[in-house]
Amino acid sequence: MSILIDQNTRVLVQGITGKEGSFWTQHMVEMGTRVVAGVTPNKQGQVCCGAPVYHSVRNAVREHAVDAAMVFVPPKFVMDAVMESLDSGIRLIVTLADGIPLHEQAKVRAAALSCGATVVGGNTSGIIAPGKAMMGSIPYWIERVYKPGRIGIMTRSGSLTNEVTAMVVAAGFGVSTLIGVGGDPVPAARFAEFLPAFEADGETDAVVIIGELGGTMEEEVAEAVKTRRFTKPLVAFLSGRTAPAGTRMGHAGAIITGGKGSVADKTRVLESAGALVARRPREVGTLLNTALAERK
Amino acid sequence: MKLFEYQTKEILKNAGVRIPQSVLTECADDVGDAVVAVGLPCVLKCQVLSGGRGKAGLVKLVQTVDEAAALAKRYFAEVPSLHAVLVEQAADIESELYLAVTIDAPSGKALLMGCAEGGVEIETIAANTPEKIVKEWIDLDKGLQPFEISDFAFRLGLRGDLLKKVSRICGALYRAFRSMDAELVEINPLFLTKAGEAVAGDGKLSIDDNSMFRHTAYEKGRSYYQSDMEYEAAQEGIPYIEFDGDISLMCAGAGLANTVYDLVNYEGGTVANYLEFGGPNYMKAGTAMRLCLANEPKVVLIVTFGTIARADVMAEGIAKAVRELKPGCPIVACLRGTGEERVDEILAPVGLKRLSDTEEAVRKAVAIADGRAQA
Repeated sequence: MSILIDQNTRVLVQGITGKEGSFWTQHMVEMGTRVVAGVTPNKQGQVCCGAPVYHSVRNAVREHAVDAAMVFVPPKFVMDAVMESLDSGIRLIVTLADGIPLHEQAKVRAAALSCGATVVGGNTSGIIAPGKAMMGSIPYWIERVYKPGRIGIMTRSGSLTNEVTAMVVAAGFGVSTLIGVGGDPVPAARFAEFLPAFEADGETDAVVIIGELGGTMEEEVAEAVKTRRFTKPLVAFLSGRTAPAGTRMGHAGAIITGGKGSVADKTRVLESAGALVARRPREVGTLLNTALAERK
Repeated sequence: MKLFEYQTKEILKNAGVRIPQSVLTECADDVGDAVVAVGLPCVLKCQVLSGGRGKAGLVKLVQTVDEAAALAKRYFAEVPSLHAVLVEQAADIESELYLAVTIDAPSGKALLMGCAEGGVEIETIAANTPEKIVKEWIDLDKGLQPFEISDFAFRLGLRGDLLKKVSRICGALYRAFRSMDAELVEINPLFLTKAGEAVAGDGKLSIDDNSMFRHTAYEKGRSYYQSDMEYEAAQEGIPYIEFDGDISLMCAGAGLANTVYDLVNYEGGTVANYLEFGGPNYMKAGTAMRLCLANEPKVVLIVTFGTIARADVMAEGIAKAVRELKPGCPIVACLRGTGEERVDEILAPVGLKRLSDTEEAVRKAVAIADGRAQA
C-alpha cells in the first residue's frame, strides 16, 4: 500500500490541454496513473492524453467518479481551480505552481482546513507512489531516486528531494510514497498531517522529512513524535543550518526571523522528541539503517 | 518587496493612520528647507532597507538647521544604498505601542499582533516574554470584525478615547495589509502623544513578491539592493546574494543551494556568493556564470540535480560561457538529473570533468580555494 494515491486512484486533471499539463499528464499516464478526465474551459469534447476533456469540474464529475484532482494552471488561477474542485466534492488536490500570491495561499489553506480536504502544494513537484501512480512533474524514470520501497518521504524542496532520496536509495532502500508539500510560506498541507497515514501504512517502515529553515512544520513533526502519535523511525535532513539570520536564501518560506525557525532550533526539538537528524544528505541513509536495525 | 519607511507611511496615511509631518529629501541641499518646513526639533531618517537604523546611527534628532545640514551632508556622502532622507517632525511621546499584521501559515489566517511595549526589538519580547504579545486571528474571507478589534485593543490595555483611536488604526492597518498583498505591515513604534493622539512613528511594509503584478507602481531600483551585483542579478530574475568568501556557488534549486552553502561551511570553506539558477532560469547558465565571475572568486562550484532543469541544457550553457568568458579561476561541476548521460561529452571539450557526488564536489572546491588542490 502507499498513502494518498495508487494505481486505482481516479485522477482528474485541471489545465490538461496546456503545454505543461499535457506533457506531464502523458508521463502520469505512462507511469500507470489512472487519469479519468481533464478540464480546460471552452475545450469540452476534446480528448487529451486519452482522457475526455470537460469545460468545468462540475461537468466532469457528472460523468466520472473522481478521487483526486491534479492542478496544472498558472499561479494566478490556482486558488480558483482549487475552489472549483473543492466545490465538486474532491478532497485530494495537488497543485504545483510556483508563484501563488501569498494571501491566496492562505485562503487555499483555510479552505482546505474548513472542509477537511488535503490540498498538496504549491511550489512543489507533487506526489508519487513509485511503481503505482504519480500526480505532478516528478521524473519517475530516474531509477536511483524513484525506486519503489518502504520509506515514506516528505519534502519542502524539489532539487533537494533528488539529492536526498538518491542517498536513501544508495543505502539500499526505496520509496513507498513521496509527498512534496512545497516551498511556499503557506503550504496548503503540512508535514505532520501526513504522519497518521504513514503510521497506519503497512508498507512504510520509516519516514524521512526533507525540511529547511523557517516556519514551524518541522516542530509540528517533532510534537507528533514526542507524543507518540507517530512511532516509526523518523529521519530528518534540514538545509540552511549555516544560513545567515534574516537573509532570504531560496524559498520564500525559508527565512529565519527573530531567532525562530533556525535549523539549530529545529534539530534540537526533533532530537529531543526522539527523531534522528542528518547533518549531510549522505547521513540520511546511515541513520535509516541504524534506526531500522534497532527496531528488529 | 520591502518598502522604504516613507512609502509605508504614505500607504498608512491613505488608509487613515496619522503620521508625523515630514518632507522627503533626495540631496543634502534640500534638507535646510525641509527642516524649516517641518519645524525644530526634527528627526533625520535615512531611507535604507537594512534593519536596526537607530543603532547604526541612521536616525537622529537634530535641534538646529546647521546641525541638520551637517548630518545630511554626511548621510548623503557616506551611507551605502541610501534612497533618500526623511525629515520628520519630532513627536511629544507619552508611550509607545507595537502593531503588526502578518499571515499565520498553520491556520491560513491573518494575524493581528500588538504589544504595549513598542519601540524596542519586538523579537526580543516575543522570545523572552511572549505573553506580552496580544494576538487576534482574522479570517481572510470575512475580514477583521469591529468586535475583534475592540477586544484586541482592550487586551492591549487601552481604555477610553485611546482605545477608540487605536482601534481605528488597527482597522486601517488591516486594510493596508490586504490591499497591498503584504507579507507584513508593522507600525513600531506607534506614538501615544502627550496630547492624546496616536501617531505612526515608524512603519514597515513588504509586498508579497508573488503579488507584485497587482502593484506595478512599485519599481525596485538600485537602492533596494545591497550591491550592484545583487541589483544586476535581480534584473535577470536570478536570486543572488553577495558574501565576502572564496567560493562562488552556482546551484539549481533553492534547497540544494542552501545545502551546498552548508556543506561549504562544514568543510571550512567560505562563500563568495549564493546564486540559484534552477527552475525557469536553467537556460541562463551563461548569465549565471558571468555574475559569479564578476565577483572574482577563487573557484566556481556548480551543483545541480534537476528534472525540468535539464542537466544537458545547463551543461551546454556552461560550456558556451567557458568559451566566451574564459574564466580565470577553476570550475568544479557536479551536474545530475535529466539528460545527465550527455553531460560528459558536452563539458570535456572545454576541459571540465563532471563530478556526480555533491560532497566530493564541495571538498574539491574548498581544497582549490585553500590552495591544496588544482582543478
